[in-house]
Amino acid sequence: MSRIAIQADGLVRDFGPIRALDHLSFEVPAGIVFGFLGPNGAGKTTAIRTFLGLVEPSAGSARVLGFDTRREGGQIRERSGALLEHHGLYERLTAEQNLDFAGRIWRMSSGDRRARIRELLEQFGLWDRRLEAAGKWSRGMKQKLAVARAVFHRPQLVFLDEPTAGLDPVASAALREDLAALATGQGVTVFLTTHNLVEAERLCDLVGVIRRGRLAALGPPSSLRPNDSPVLRVTGTGIDQAIATEAAALPGVVSASLVHGALEVRLADGTRPAALVAMLVERGVGIDEVRRVRQSLEETFLELVNDPADGSGRAEESR
Amino acid sequence: MIADIFTMARKELMEFRDQLLRLRRGGLSALIVLLMLGIFTPLQMGPLWLTSPLMLAYWPLLSSGMVSTLIADAFAGERERHTLETLLASRLSDTSILLGKVLAAILYGLLFTFANITVGIIAINLKHFGQGIQAPPLMHIAYMLVLVTLACSTLAGIGVFISLKAATVRQAQQTLGIIMMVMFIGPVLFFQFLDSEGRVSLANKLTTLGTARMVGWATAVLFTASLMLIVMAMARFRRGKLTLD
Repeated sequence: MSRIAIQADGLVRDFGPIRALDHLSFEVPAGIVFGFLGPNGAGKTTAIRTFLGLVEPSAGSARVLGFDTRREGGQIRERSGALLEHHGLYERLTAEQNLDFAGRIWRMSSGDRRARIRELLEQFGLWDRRLEAAGKWSRGMKQKLAVARAVFHRPQLVFLDEPTAGLDPVASAALREDLAALATGQGVTVFLTTHNLVEAERLCDLVGVIRRGRLAALGPPSSLRPNDSPVLRVTGTGIDQAIATEAAALPGVVSASLVHGALEVRLADGTRPAALVAMLVERGVGIDEVRRVRQSLEETFLELVNDPADGSGRAEESR
Repeated sequence: MIADIFTMARKELMEFRDQLLRLRRGGLSALIVLLMLGIFTPLQMGPLWLTSPLMLAYWPLLSSGMVSTLIADAFAGERERHTLETLLASRLSDTSILLGKVLAAILYGLLFTFANITVGIIAINLKHFGQGIQAPPLMHIAYMLVLVTLACSTLAGIGVFISLKAATVRQAQQTLGIIMMVMFIGPVLFFQFLDSEGRVSLANKLTTLGTARMVGWATAVLFTASLMLIVMAMARFRRGKLTLD
């Protein structure tokens, strides 16, 4: 198997005047969980469709599992599993029949199908309800079944479009664990799109942020956030509004305010906190802790996708 | 490829079976049709129901009519229920998906005919109990199987072609309904517009043609039509376009 699961090279996809993918280039190493983040209409679904060989790029190229998406889509689909925008379950069929159909598609033997159905339905806590029509199930249960179907044939690569959408926090956490186990235990590459940034941070080894069809950032979730945060949080005794006002007047301090009894100070780029700490000590503040407030992934994400020029995302996602 | 076609056909029939078991839409109508055509009509017509050459036209027409409910759903239904994209993202080839749906329609048509004829034979034999076993001639059954298969595949070809493009099942059913009406009523209207001399002449020609030759002609026409329609449907099957639809 190729060590690079997905390789996009200058991918462009136009829908009439709308450019859904705009020279998208990145690589996803095999065996990791890759999170693809972006606002609605950023091009996430189009990217998945292109990688699966369902949609041809207007320009550029992509190789998935070593196969060209333009010419070898069948080979890619043979080796991949997918949970797309909709769960795609046959609601008139039972859970067991849905999975059995997936197994037959991938030419698994009867015994292997039966064993895998049991294994996955038990893992997802759905075994007892396997004979019920999937249409009668809750959205969360359907989503779990759809994930089970996507990984049923033990694919090398799984595309999951918002896999935890509609799941309660407990089910989401359980599914996250299952997905992580899939990648670490079975070497499966997981390519998932999500709006859930906590999920991306906890689950993904590598995250790509897409905006207007372009890659805005790529790296491990921790690396996307600046380590050297410009915001300091000081807790202790003797902190009041007068201290905050005095701190705000210090050179290199952009702003200072009281937040839940703590002093929060935003420093200008390159400013060290020594002068601030010295002033606080001089004013008799009993400092308990001074720490940099790390930007959350959500804040980083919003910073990356925020583009005052274009406002909200485009309507490409519905295509 | 053959295994994939059967996998697809199996799924289609399983979905339809579920509908039949729940007596919804197609299921209820199939049950009513079975009572009417499999019991009422044979009891009225008697043993002639088993041997009349008219039955060679009757069953292909009826079975293809029944198939229309299944085939209109083929792609339009998958699109409406949001299962089409997942199906297209699977390893199944375009040909397997399309032919699987056509095969399911043909099997349903054959099953429908077989069920009605079996029930009809039982009904007639029960009514004429003690007069020996009443059954259609073997050649008659063979003709019927061929014609039903080809009539269903022709209608499946039209249905798949329409269903690929239709946005909803209802739209596909309406378009298919209009086409079927033209196909079924067209010959009747044509006959109505003939003067009495023309009708007699046509009837004489058909009579002198003989059953075997008529079946041969019908087979050739239906085979060509179904082949052309399926080839056209395959040409229309574009994975990328269906995904974006």
